[in-house]
Amino acid sequence: MTDLMQKPETKILILATLAGGYAGADATGQSHLDYPSNTYILPVMCPVMFPPEFFIRSFERGIDGILLMYSGTDSPYKVEAAGTAKLINQSYELMKERGIDIRRLRLAAICTVCVKPFLKEVNNMHTLLKGIGPVSAEIKPQQAEAQRTLP
Amino acid sequence: MSEKPKIGVYTCYCGGNISHTVKCEQVAKVMADQPDVVISRTNMSLCSDAGQSQIEEDIRELGVNRVVIGACAPSLHEPTFRNTVVRAGLNPYLYHHVGLREQDSWVHSCDCDGATCKAVRLMSAGVAKARFLDPLEPIRLEAEKQALVIGGGVAGLRSALDIANQGLRVVLVEKSPFLGGRMAQLAKVFPTGEEAQRLLSELIDEVVQHPRIGVFIQTEVVGVSGYVGKYGIDLLQHGRGVTAENGEALAAGCTQFVPDEFNYNLTERKVIYKPYQGCYPALPAVDWDHYDGESILLNGKKEVLQDQAQPYQLTVGAIVVATGFDPYTPHTGEYGYGELPQVATLAELIRHLAVHPEAKSLRWNGRIVRDVVMVHCVGSREIEGVDALQEDGLVNNYCSRVCCTATLHMIEELHTHFPGLNIFDLYQDIRTYGRGHEEYYRSALSSGTRFVRYNGEDRPEVIAALEGDTHPVLVHVKDALTYNQELEIPADLVVLATGMQPRQIDDLVRMLKVSRGNDRFLLEVHPKLRPVETAVNGVILAGTAQGPMNIQESILAASAAAAKVVSLLGSGQVELQPFVAAVNAAKCDGTGACVEACEYEGAIALETLVENGKEVKRAVVTAANCSGCGACVSVCPNRAIDVQGWTLAQYEAMVDAIAMDIVDLVEAE
Amino acid sequence: MTKIHVDALVVGGGIAGMQTALDLGDQGYQVALVEKEPSVGGKMITLSKVFPTLDCCSCITTPKMSAVAHHPKIQLFTYCEVDRVDGQDGEFTVSVVQKPRYVNADICTGCRLCEYECPITVPSMFDRGLGSYHAVRVPFSTAVPQIAVLDIEYCLLCGKCEKVCPVGAVDFTQTPETFEIDTTSIVLATGFEMTDVSAKKEYGAGRLSNVIDPLMMERFLAPTGPYGRVLRPGDGMEPTTIAYVQCAGSRDETLGIEYCSRTCCMYAIKQSMLISGALPLAEVTIFYMDIRTFGKGYEQFYQNAKAMGVEFVRGKVASIQEDENHYPIVRVELTEEGRVVERTFDLVVLSLGMVLGDPLARFGLQPAEDGFASLPSVNASPWATTRPGVFVAGTAGGPMDIVDSIVTASAAASAASAYIRSKTQVSIEEGEVAYV
Repeated sequence: MTDLMQKPETKILILATLAGGYAGADATGQSHLDYPSNTYILPVMCPVMFPPEFFIRSFERGIDGILLMYSGTDSPYKVEAAGTAKLINQSYELMKERGIDIRRLRLAAICTVCVKPFLKEVNNMHTLLKGIGPVSAEIKPQQAEAQRTLP
Repeated sequence: MSEKPKIGVYTCYCGGNISHTVKCEQVAKVMADQPDVVISRTNMSLCSDAGQSQIEEDIRELGVNRVVIGACAPSLHEPTFRNTVVRAGLNPYLYHHVGLREQDSWVHSCDCDGATCKAVRLMSAGVAKARFLDPLEPIRLEAEKQALVIGGGVAGLRSALDIANQGLRVVLVEKSPFLGGRMAQLAKVFPTGEEAQRLLSELIDEVVQHPRIGVFIQTEVVGVSGYVGKYGIDLLQHGRGVTAENGEALAAGCTQFVPDEFNYNLTERKVIYKPYQGCYPALPAVDWDHYDGESILLNGKKEVLQDQAQPYQLTVGAIVVATGFDPYTPHTGEYGYGELPQVATLAELIRHLAVHPEAKSLRWNGRIVRDVVMVHCVGSREIEGVDALQEDGLVNNYCSRVCCTATLHMIEELHTHFPGLNIFDLYQDIRTYGRGHEEYYRSALSSGTRFVRYNGEDRPEVIAALEGDTHPVLVHVKDALTYNQELEIPADLVVLATGMQPRQIDDLVRMLKVSRGNDRFLLEVHPKLRPVETAVNGVILAGTAQGPMNIQESILAASAAAAKVVSLLGSGQVELQPFVAAVNAAKCDGTGACVEACEYEGAIALETLVENGKEVKRAVVTAANCSGCGACVSVCPNRAIDVQGWTLAQYEAMVDAIAMDIVDLVEAE
Repeated sequence: MTKIHVDALVVGGGIAGMQTALDLGDQGYQVALVEKEPSVGGKMITLSKVFPTLDCCSCITTPKMSAVAHHPKIQLFTYCEVDRVDGQDGEFTVSVVQKPRYVNADICTGCRLCEYECPITVPSMFDRGLGSYHAVRVPFSTAVPQIAVLDIEYCLLCGKCEKVCPVGAVDFTQTPETFEIDTTSIVLATGFEMTDVSAKKEYGAGRLSNVIDPLMMERFLAPTGPYGRVLRPGDGMEPTTIAYVQCAGSRDETLGIEYCSRTCCMYAIKQSMLISGALPLAEVTIFYMDIRTFGKGYEQFYQNAKAMGVEFVRGKVASIQEDENHYPIVRVELTEEGRVVERTFDLVVLSLGMVLGDPLARFGLQPAEDGFASLPSVNASPWATTRPGVFVAGTAGGPMDIVDSIVTASAAASAASAYIRSKTQVSIEEGEVAYV
């Protein structure tokens, strides 16, 4: 197992809509195009479900960058485009209050075959994090011990 | 959660696709040591029969009650594995799929360690989510196997017939006293030259004789409630005013005349009337909007007729809106319409010819017509800033699609019946796009029709000729086909090829909560994914209520609408995905933030409940109307609401698993 | 010989066929969907974006492809061709030939190891000959099913694929196999082909290297395309002046194609807009006779293109030749100015029309004068062919765009469903539920 215990790298959380970014990530895979492996993609139906505190909490737990890949105006949900933009703006306010660089959270419209835009977003975030370093430089991470034994 | 999670974790080699990059055995080993995991296996090809059987066996033998699979993209095999767990007796939603191929091995082929670390984190996130999985049941709603079709024109009739022929019951409502709609006002139809009224009467016969169709004529929809599967409909049927016994006699005795809208007011009719011979029903009806209330002589007795309107209520599973179109009516003075008697619309000319079938020469307002000017795109393809605004402040910037072929069809008819006519055709683009339509264009060209191409920014002008002139009107137009030469065309008749606009159905739009586009026609969800469905579940569009169409296109749209209705209601049940909002009543304190955030009509509301003798407000979700977007989740101050299957707690657990250092995960061994 | 019994046989797995199959399947009918290519998706899956919404085409097509593959009521037969239709009146026996894939479809996992190992590259028909793929391959990235097919015409029989296949799926011994499908109804969704450019000598008959057809342009513009950008096939140069020649193969008596193909105005305008996005410096000129943007939202689309700077020139293109550097020269009669001019472009796209795809004789149908299926009663039952029980969906019944194809497909499903009920009185399985 020791080979897995490499030095901690920055972690990028990608929340990607099933109708958009998640399928775009699959399309990137189908094209066998490489990108950094510190990218963790979770499928979401519609990102308006996340309260701004969710993003703050994720940063506190040690996520260094979050890409929200939504479907924008192509969304099957009425509220996705406007609602998500609003949540992101609220999140930026909270991030500023906590001293978190707001570039760590980014919203991007990614469609199901948006291979190049997907790669661009991932690489940009990766480069950004290399420059500004892990989130722990900005806030004290809070490991989630309690969560480990749940439920 | 009642039972303790017993998680089975499966990491697929995908025949090397994953295992060439991701060290699957290592991933499986780390997973085996995570809390609640009872078995962690790898497999060369999990989707194979053997792989699937292994999972089934573990569910049965080891009591696995949550399944996490790391394999190809969920879009490929999620349905496969849902079926697998169901076969072993597990709820399909107790399975979670992690994409390790498209989103890991295939994109980190030069970074095996990185890909393996990623797989470990993604799989442990999957396990973390699995702990929070609850069994879910699809939302099944009883559906009334009956549809309401609003509108008794060709689209409504066709839709009703197709739905009924596929085994459902249909209630067809028509606001006017006769079936047939706008199509009944046409003579011959393109491209076949068949008689419109004959085609209609064949269709109407089938509809009215169908055992599963109920027809309500002179009936309005006055109330709509409920949701897909169970719409409550209030109808109001106006009285016919006559009976089978006295109908004809009353019509004969009637002396009140009103303009006949069937002939676009070119003629008059009695207020007890039939629009045309062969109409359905054959029984005359009273035009209540215009009846003056005076008594009518019947067998020597004076009768005063009264509208005895009758309300009806019914329940339907789906609603087809086939309310049709109105021909565009030019403003007074638009191309001289309404001011110059020798300016008519194409629709009017069609009725004029139908009313005078035997005429040897074309006469308009008593005047023999020798020179005719047809003007295309009247009330269509209007340009903002150039054309006058319509009443609602918009211009009709759309193409009405049928007028080009209809105009050229008319030119052919005119040339056939009145060979001596000189016809000028003023157009922008000739849009004879359909099968058999281009032939009318060629026919018009070969019969000597003079085509003049005008620019939409410089429309033709129609003015009165000076008294004593050879012709009553003059048409001024710049002809793009001859270097924008200015032409003055003397004419005996100017025919305006008017476009289509949707019928005035504001009340219905409000009741059904459907949306309209900028062109005021009803809006479909998506022109390709769901071209005849509205955003309101169970409300389907048929025909020209949705946009300009010809008869063939209306019929196709109507049949497509029928297919959607039958798919929806055929089983008597509607099933919706369980991914909808659910309220934890214990945490809810009725702030109403969720209700405010929700964009879906009737999806969530505050209800007053009695708790411990006190009245409290609690949010209640109506699953049938909820899209599962989660707008309510992010605004709830108490975290009392979640989208089932996609809860915030699940995401937090997944984030924690991803954030955890690999060292910690490995140490969990 | 295996025999399959279904309520409806849908021939053609393009957008129309898939929609018909899904509609019938959702209503609980047993459906067989026969597709001659190794994957469903038809012409539509090769397109870039679709008008008038400019949705990416894959986003619309791939979910339908996946849906037909997973639908419990739909049996999918890819790489199969209908050979003959016997019977009548709701009792049809259709003989179908399964073409050899030389890969065992039952065990192939779509891992593509064979494809990576194959030493042969052949022009990709999926990319309209612009790119290349291997002699053995999964047909394209989003193909359904994800099963490899071996192109025996190009194969060297080197056996590398056979060796590398982890499940032993490569099978050089396969031969065509015929099987029969008994069905109550048939829906023809066999689609279209583009008019044959070689017939038009005035436009170079397909020999000019920088004169392309619109489906090639779709591949240039598609995110999944061979180059990921627009270029001239002749020399790979990025074009800055591009001309569209409308009605190239429609409304043309010399070709015997007198009808309007309905889609060309819109696809040319759409491509012009996409080109403007991909090549901001490019200038696009559309030579046309009449612009026929008649569908919902189409006229606005046209006006937007004009506002974006696409040049619309009314004129009849008399001929296309090329200069010594293979730049196409368009000779056009400007109808509004009454003179003939010659203009040189970097790239010319011929807006070809639509002709019938597959011959109709196998189905016992006669074509109408325009070559498409004869529909005797378009103003009463526009889905009905001359053979009772055989219905038409999509472009087999005449040129039309995707929106219209989908609507006719659902309409054909409706008609087939009513017909099946009238012939069999089978009530749909109890407990089947509809999905919203």
